[in-house]
Amino acid sequence: MIWHITKRELYDNLNSLRFALTTVLLLGLMLINAIVHLREHPVRVQKYHDAATESLDRLKSRTNLYQIAQEGPGYLYKKPSSLHFCADGGEDFLADNVHGGFYAWATADLAGFWQLDYMPATLNRKNIRPDTIKIDWGFVIGYVLSLIAILFTFDSISGERERGTLRLTLANSVPRHTVLIGKFFGALVSISVPFMLAVLMNLLVISTSSDVQLGVETWSRLAIILFIPILYLCLFLALGLLVSSRVRQSAASLVILLLIWVTFVVFMPSTLASIASGFSPSMTYDEFNERAIQLVNELKGEYDARLQDMPEQSTKKIELSGEYVIRDVTERERLSHEYLTQQHAQIQLARSVTRISPVVLVQHLLEVFAGTGFERHQQFVENVQRYAREYREFVSDMDRADPDSLHVIGTYEGMSKKPISPESIPMFEDTLSLSRDFNAAAIDLLLLTLFFVVFLAGAYLAFVRVEI
Amino acid sequence: MLTVLIRRELLNNLMTFRFAAAVLIMLLLVVANTFVLIKDYEQRLEAYNTALKTEHRRSQDSKTYSSGRFNVARPPNPLSIFNVGLDKRLGNEIGISHGFVPTLWDTGTYKLTNPLLNLFTSIDIVFIFEVVLSLIALIFSYDAIAGERERGTLRLVVTHPVRRGQILLAKYISAMLCLLVPLLMSLLLAIILLTTATVVSLSVGDFLRIGGIILSSIVYLSVFYLIGMLISTVTRRTGTALMLAMFVWGFWVLVYPNAVLTAIAPPQTSQARMVSAYEEIKQIWEAFDRERKQFLANDAVPGEDPHLGMVGADPNFNQIWGSGYHYEYFHRDSSTLRYDYHAVSNIEKLHEASKPQVPHAQDYYRFLGPQIVNAAERAWLVRKQALETIFVQPAILDRILLRGSPVGMYDAATQAWAGTDLRGLRDFFEAARRYRRTLIDYYYDKNAFGSQQWFSADNGAVDWDRLPQFSFLRSDIEINAARALPDICLLLIINLVLFIGIFLVFQKSEV
Repeated sequence: MIWHITKRELYDNLNSLRFALTTVLLLGLMLINAIVHLREHPVRVQKYHDAATESLDRLKSRTNLYQIAQEGPGYLYKKPSSLHFCADGGEDFLADNVHGGFYAWATADLAGFWQLDYMPATLNRKNIRPDTIKIDWGFVIGYVLSLIAILFTFDSISGERERGTLRLTLANSVPRHTVLIGKFFGALVSISVPFMLAVLMNLLVISTSSDVQLGVETWSRLAIILFIPILYLCLFLALGLLVSSRVRQSAASLVILLLIWVTFVVFMPSTLASIASGFSPSMTYDEFNERAIQLVNELKGEYDARLQDMPEQSTKKIELSGEYVIRDVTERERLSHEYLTQQHAQIQLARSVTRISPVVLVQHLLEVFAGTGFERHQQFVENVQRYAREYREFVSDMDRADPDSLHVIGTYEGMSKKPISPESIPMFEDTLSLSRDFNAAAIDLLLLTLFFVVFLAGAYLAFVRVEI
Repeated sequence: MLTVLIRRELLNNLMTFRFAAAVLIMLLLVVANTFVLIKDYEQRLEAYNTALKTEHRRSQDSKTYSSGRFNVARPPNPLSIFNVGLDKRLGNEIGISHGFVPTLWDTGTYKLTNPLLNLFTSIDIVFIFEVVLSLIALIFSYDAIAGERERGTLRLVVTHPVRRGQILLAKYISAMLCLLVPLLMSLLLAIILLTTATVVSLSVGDFLRIGGIILSSIVYLSVFYLIGMLISTVTRRTGTALMLAMFVWGFWVLVYPNAVLTAIAPPQTSQARMVSAYEEIKQIWEAFDRERKQFLANDAVPGEDPHLGMVGADPNFNQIWGSGYHYEYFHRDSSTLRYDYHAVSNIEKLHEASKPQVPHAQDYYRFLGPQIVNAAERAWLVRKQALETIFVQPAILDRILLRGSPVGMYDAATQAWAGTDLRGLRDFFEAARRYRRTLIDYYYDKNAFGSQQWFSADNGAVDWDRLPQFSFLRSDIEINAARALPDICLLLIINLVLFIGIFLVFQKSEV
């Protein structure tokens, strides 16, 4: 019986104006998305490749251990995702590198060691182009698909009630929930068809190009990504059915649905984000700078006098200099890490609060599985920090292996002077792990499912109790 | 007859659910967001005030003329609450010195807060209107004709001796009156909130500008109402009309503004143009440097280093030496075509040994000062043109493309009223450049270039209090109006065309 009702709904929908418009709109948007990706992605990859190679070459050109330990690994770059077309994730506003380099010191005989420096992307200050939302899958699914879902369901029950056909259907000893589920599946299939068509065309255009290659891992990620819009679509269909069965007139039902849509999809994310980001403000750049200067001066005051009193070239002096250098690095790095953590915490809070809006959930999910956006950025920073530890361990291991060394890391005199082969230096690799992504996505996925179940249950209850 | 029709329509519209919903949602969204926006403005204003204070303190530290480098700060625009435009985004602090003509691309940011907050889109009141007003207008209009035709009441009305144009006009006027209620109520509430907030101080001009924004909103609203009415006249059934209206809305408001800029490739910054302009600017400064060196070689004490032996010979940036500092360097940045020379001496106490050098140094700086100013002016002429073609013209093209949708026109008009559009912000940089001229005039006035105080505070520090303060006033309301006028006219023309179209279709259509 469900199949009958679904089929009837399908026939109704397939011949309608909205089906044609939906198909055209989705195909057009997905085509734009594919073309833009093909145009921009090779440039992005090339830029990453050039920059990463240059920084690697510079690292390999270092031969002695002191140079390796002092100058550090240089710029570490974030690998661009080949699924960038699924979710842009505001990549323009996230830094694509972390600098592992050193500062010049005022004192001539000591050189500062390298440290991680998280520089923000400041592209926006000079950008006078009007800002827009990027046409990625996130936009097509989050905004357009949800609007379409509403337009397909707002009259599915109230419309039939108005025309009187619902009474006819129910007179044929059909259980009510069957009618509801039939309608649900009918709408689901009739939106999924043009959507899948658009997605397939999009993937076809992208995969035929030789510039952009999708590997096996990417395809498996894509398979997961394809599951998300279906769930999201179901959520809005259930919402549409709920309102449609509660409200007598289909016009009123549409008005309510549109207002809910506008509030939750268009306004809620940014309004809530602005409110929430006020709760945990991070320190400003000026404050950070002030603290950094204060820190440097404190250390200078502590060590300068002590260092001057000591005789030249003595082991004690070398040890103290090493301690000075290492303390400077650790404390400065701790400060910049604190600054970064505060910034991330502010964003994290705002992101958690905005989860009330389903469009945010779906965008988070797409970002996580596409390997772009904030979550990915955090993963990149973690990778960098892990690499920094590895790199420092490598330096101390190499130093420990040399019996002639004084084992004072921080000064030239105190460290091993044996040549180091460039192959043995650890190299930075920016990796993505699917299991971590699943962990990050779990809450969003659960919330999305929860919303869906609640709305569907609501629609069921409303429809079962309603008078026809 | 017209009044009877209008009254009937008004009653029909006012007693509907959609009217109540429209009023409610508009009030809710506008009030909630106005709170957020006022708070945001408050924070920016506070940051601006601290920036002013720090700058004042910093300028007191400059004891010589050559070290006088002022950062002027751009105040946040209170009307950015209505349409934020570029107000929050562009740099808001810029250094003024005689040797460099400042532009939009040389700015810094005071009190930089979390840069990652850019991840969230920021909304303003006009954005709410853009999205919600257009939607409400369409919801009101989709069944204006088609609905009556379906119910058969249209035929009834037409049987009376009423002209069809009158019916249309009555429908239009009454619906617009209804739609004005949520618009004006929410705006009024927003203005009340603004005036009660102590931080926001609005001048008479600002209220007139807000009036301009309201006017633009009404014209915009009317465009979407007429679009809906046209759809309603063309289609036979309300269902079809509704679907068409919703898709038209989705396309114009949601898809087009975002898609057009993504789809159309950002014009490649012509590398050749960049390089040639940069070379030209470089040559100007290199010629300056040659003349400078030549002067040093041919003067009374030939063969000395350009620092005249007064502070350390190390030309390193910020070299601290004795009682004061001196640095000179070329600032080069090919990505923004920046190339300029800075020579700063802030010597608090001269070494006894360098005292005889003073007249000599005065000669040198008397020669150097006007040279730097000239080179900077010449380089600016080249740079201005290059920046205009490389950065500004693509941005203007983008805005023209955005005008393919009424939303783009409305946005442009309100930004022009608020003064947060590109032109409004460039006014600030214009003012900064004027202030640079003031500074140079001040130097000439005081004969600063040839004075000892140019490089050393040995005979007392410079008294900066006589230098006029920088102040930036937003452009006059007439200029705002002139900038907004083209877009408002465009919207009006669309209105007229739509109305004529509806009239013609309705005249011919069968009832």
